[in-house]
Amino acid sequence: MSDFAGMEDLLQDFLQEAHDLLSDVDNKLVDLEKTPDDRGLLNDIFRGFHTVKGGAGFLNATELVTLCHLTENLFDRLRNGEMELTPELMDVIMAATKGVRDMFGELGQMVQPQAADPHVIGALQGALRGELPGAVAGVANESPAAAPAAANAVPGEPDWAAMHAAVSGQAAEGELMPKAAPVAKAESAAHAVVAPVPAKEAPSPFGRRATDRPAGQPTATRRADERARENTIRVDTSRLDQVLNLSGEIGLTKNRLTSLRADILAGKNDAETLHALDQAVSQLDLLVSDLQNSVMKTRMQPIGRLFQKYPRIARDLARQLGKDVELVLAGEETEVDKTMIEDLADPLIHLIRNAVDHGVEMPEERAASGKSAKSLVRLEARQEGDHIVLIIADDGRGMSAERIRAKAVDKGLISEEEANTLDERQSLNLIFLPGFSTKTQISDVSGRGVGMDVVKTNIQKLNGSVEIRSEPGKGSVFIISLPLTLAILPVLLVLLGDQPFALPLSLVREILPIDQQRIQEVGGKETLVVRGEVLPVVSLARLLGWPLERPPEYGVFMQTAERSFILGVDSFAGRDDAVIKSLEDFRPKGVAGVTTLSNGQIVLILDMKELLADLGQHAEAGNALRALDFV
Amino acid sequence: MAGDPKTRFLVVDDFSTMRRIVRNLLKELGFTNVDEAEDGAIALQKLQGGGFEFVVTDWNMPNMDGLTLLQTIRATPTLKHLPVLMITAEAKKENIIAAAQAGASGYIVKPFTAGTLSEKLNKIFEKLGQA
Repeated sequence: MSDFAGMEDLLQDFLQEAHDLLSDVDNKLVDLEKTPDDRGLLNDIFRGFHTVKGGAGFLNATELVTLCHLTENLFDRLRNGEMELTPELMDVIMAATKGVRDMFGELGQMVQPQAADPHVIGALQGALRGELPGAVAGVANESPAAAPAAANAVPGEPDWAAMHAAVSGQAAEGELMPKAAPVAKAESAAHAVVAPVPAKEAPSPFGRRATDRPAGQPTATRRADERARENTIRVDTSRLDQVLNLSGEIGLTKNRLTSLRADILAGKNDAETLHALDQAVSQLDLLVSDLQNSVMKTRMQPIGRLFQKYPRIARDLARQLGKDVELVLAGEETEVDKTMIEDLADPLIHLIRNAVDHGVEMPEERAASGKSAKSLVRLEARQEGDHIVLIIADDGRGMSAERIRAKAVDKGLISEEEANTLDERQSLNLIFLPGFSTKTQISDVSGRGVGMDVVKTNIQKLNGSVEIRSEPGKGSVFIISLPLTLAILPVLLVLLGDQPFALPLSLVREILPIDQQRIQEVGGKETLVVRGEVLPVVSLARLLGWPLERPPEYGVFMQTAERSFILGVDSFAGRDDAVIKSLEDFRPKGVAGVTTLSNGQIVLILDMKELLADLGQHAEAGNALRALDFV
Repeated sequence: MAGDPKTRFLVVDDFSTMRRIVRNLLKELGFTNVDEAEDGAIALQKLQGGGFEFVVTDWNMPNMDGLTLLQTIRATPTLKHLPVLMITAEAKKENIIAAAQAGASGYIVKPFTAGTLSEKLNKIFEKLGQA
């Protein structure tokens, strides 16, 4: 029986819920390492495996049932004090958990999981028989002292570090990903074709799997499958009730308006009728904005659901490197738009890996500089006004602006002259340049020099920004700032002649009148000094390639991640909350989308980054400006 | 007797997939009047609100487990007549004995089919009919 026909919905439900449960178990396992006798934790973990087992039974996933059953029995012994949790046993448990997760991946492909790794099953059974897991070949290999050795697998013994990585795809995701990407594509395509066909067509899914999945790259399939599953969302019913309630209210208000319209069309326009109209419209206004908020809230998910995967990743990585790192989470309850959570997953993993790998030192080095052997990496989320702020902080060696500059020059990313003009903040930002990697030796964990630039690009895609602060010897902090939602964009409306354009308000620092007398020419370009800072003045007309009919009267002080400048415009028409409509087939350069004003007029929302990139190119061709002039 | 299709059930399990499975199986058997609770404590609150005629509960749950729920039901004058069917993943002897001693009306081991569930339910309904 390996047929999921008719059980697809059930399978999806099971996977979603069981995934959450397993992430929770994963975290509790990390906690358990610190407090191995915590009865409450042991109980919770026991129940986690028990619950997964129960659900798996209904799906006839016998191999999953077996694996969960063994692990559950182990925890039953542990919670009853019949066994003691040794680091070796912990490794067996971790491997079993990864085995379970891998099976979820297989189930996600509508395939019955294959038997778990016999080593893991053997180790579990051995432990249950009371044999010390240390006696099981290879399991003890990953104890902290032996971790570096494990990387160069002892001949004749399984390489557990690599096996962990292969089984879970977690520890080595960063490096496997790029290689595996084409496979993921092929897989998902294959999946799409296979999915609608009832499983009856494939009487032996066991056999199919072997050919479907290239050996050693389970990561790809798991990820492809994760993407596919993200189309559903779990929403608190009270939030849906609120949406329902508001749409009902809007219906009532609409009825009121319809009746008032009839009255007014019939010539009834006395003060009372107009007052009623005014009231109804005000009410509609209120209800619609409430509805928008409520709908937005249904898309909001606590970021903790993303965070909960990370302690385990940090633990495994630290162990592989022979470091002692604790990942501290804060603000897990902070709510973030679902799409954003998905898109944040990779950048955050990268920053955490980076902190564990490059940020914090080896225990000996820490001891030598008088720090505690255990390093702390903090991952925090919080809402600040209409922004979400994510912080990844480590207490490691910090970054040296000088070293980064030297490295960037070394790699030919910037010239020596350019390097000399950079201040501390700008120097640190160099690590976001494509092709930059602070370690000369490529570490097999996080650093391949592809990554930091991808982190930045991904964050910017979400209209967010990344900032680095670092203190040599004390540690580094990465601060990510994101808008609450991608659906509504607060904009500033500026005018060029009588044509309005919308600028993302997040980039606007202030608006100032431009006094032509105070404009100074520096190196052939117009600049304005604002509170001691020399800022280039760029007229919007020029960016758009319009004829400059008169000098701009107002300047909008704008700040993007890379540059600050003053955008010259004729006038401005206030701020607005734009609902972005993307131009899907037709997208002129420099236009992020369009929105409709209250009077029905259509306004282009400008993509400053693109417009400025364009300017940089023109300027380079025409010898005046270089991109770095703006930094 | 097959039991009144209008019988009001309370399905108690912390795993929502499992609640859905049980609910679907009950539906297959013609019982559509089903409410759910996430653990023993919530179940007890709902039960005290009244109107329920049958409890199907998981054993292993946070806050209040199935056995405690069963014991509490049996110790509460207004609820003690309620039939309670225990669901568990284990066919362990001591568990079955503990459930019987606490006054469970039936005991069913995961995974089960609609057929098995129907059999267990019918047995309980029969007993109720005799009483």
